[in-house]
Amino acid sequence: MVHPLRDKAAVSGIGETAYTRGTTKSGLALQLEASLKALDDAGIDPRDVDGVIPYFPGGAIAEDFIANLGLKDLTLSAFIPMGGATCVAAIQMAAMAVTTGVCKHVLISVGRTGYSGSRVSTRLQQFPVFAQAAEFELPIGMFAPAQLYAQGARRHMELYGTTARQFAEVAVVTRQHAILNGNVVMNKPLTVEDHHASRMISDPFRLFDCSLESDGGAAVIISATDRAKDLRKPLVTIAGVAEGHPDSPASIAQRPDILEFGLVKSAPRAYAMAGVGPKDIDVAEIYDCFTFTVIRQLEILGFCKAGEGGPFVMDGRIALGGELPINTHGGLLSQGHVVGLNHVIELTRQLRGEAGRAQVKQAETGLVTGYGDMGDGSIAILRRAA
Amino acid sequence: MSQAPTPVAPAPERPLPTPTRESQPYWDGMREGRFLLQYCSSCGKVRHYPRPVCPHCFSMESEFKEAPLGGSLHAWTVCHHPFNFFFKASAPYIVALVDMDAGVRVNAQLHGIPEAELKIGRRVKLGFEPVNKEVTLPVFVAE
Repeated sequence: MVHPLRDKAAVSGIGETAYTRGTTKSGLALQLEASLKALDDAGIDPRDVDGVIPYFPGGAIAEDFIANLGLKDLTLSAFIPMGGATCVAAIQMAAMAVTTGVCKHVLISVGRTGYSGSRVSTRLQQFPVFAQAAEFELPIGMFAPAQLYAQGARRHMELYGTTARQFAEVAVVTRQHAILNGNVVMNKPLTVEDHHASRMISDPFRLFDCSLESDGGAAVIISATDRAKDLRKPLVTIAGVAEGHPDSPASIAQRPDILEFGLVKSAPRAYAMAGVGPKDIDVAEIYDCFTFTVIRQLEILGFCKAGEGGPFVMDGRIALGGELPINTHGGLLSQGHVVGLNHVIELTRQLRGEAGRAQVKQAETGLVTGYGDMGDGSIAILRRAA
Repeated sequence: MSQAPTPVAPAPERPLPTPTRESQPYWDGMREGRFLLQYCSSCGKVRHYPRPVCPHCFSMESEFKEAPLGGSLHAWTVCHHPFNFFFKASAPYIVALVDMDAGVRVNAQLHGIPEAELKIGRRVKLGFEPVNKEVTLPVFVAE
């Protein structure tokens, strides 16, 4: 039986601000700026938005959108507390809302002052899921994601022989893609030597294994496919979407397998909903909080076997023109950190044929992942309407 | 003309645990130099970190009992960048994730073993490091 959500909702509008280091704008202003662009992209009157899912904590609540955009009748207001997995998980909630008739157009927004506002360790203390880490791990000097996820990366290296050279490949290819995009924080070429020479943050993660602290806003509009097909831009439907939560969700330390994320559960569901498999994917935007996180997700997504993610990323395979181009916009590593909503925007552009110099030829089906909050994992499979 | 005194930043304070009603016995044990873990009173299974319900049999009755201190290395990281200012002076430091013989994992700083000698499965032992009158933290040392 075909899943009732398959292709019934669409990404109808996308918008983003400049990605910078330094801004005078608030997180709220960045979200509103990106939202207005997304609404203009779709050709939707802002007042007709009736569902809002803002990123939390990001400086905006749904009420701000009523006050600023004059929404006439908001019927859905929600936060999804899944850290980096939030934005793609929000697509699932939005798709449910527009296909059941609860909403016409759901706005998903992120505004982040990750550079000019508070820093990562401060922000994390606002996340309820970090309470256990704050009690048991912060006192021993381990709290930031670069530290918490480093142990898994080290274990992968010890078990499978994954190397820093392979981590570097992810960083270097992602930078090449960023340079083609233009609206990016990091616009100078990066070499493997630059990566290896960058300072150690939390072994095995060096500086260039880590995503950016940047400022920017992004927004996406989800509408029912029946409505979206009459809107301004080429139709891109949500073929499959899912969120997943790992066992021992609030403590990586106590997880039976510290290399298992929520994506282990959500990816098979999304593939089944879409009726596709890894071989059908033309382009993938993978949540890249760290280089290693990309390598491990490629394994979980079935592009290679467990332990083979390191060799998989080599030899141009993940670059434009390769077998599976990934993070064609520069990702969180080089474009900017708006919690992965920029990945959703880029995948939509690719499937519309609007990706400019980074366009993957004949991109028809692609996937995007979200990862965060100690390993929650969300995934959406999008496709260009035939 | 008098000059304003240069402000001196206070020394950064160590982040300390805030025990919950569930975890208080674990921290009380640490203070006494005892490694106490939470065991289900109904099915006997151990669980960590402390929480109200046994995820195996759903009993809400539990007791804290002393557990063995040995374990083997599961993973580690060497923290160079001090995300919290308190740890700037001691960086780089190793945080080891250890499979305790008691059947749970513990994350703690590892002292006295050089990074080059770390490998999965290496035996270590949990020790106790008092940081003030109320709080003692776990630490790993060579067995």
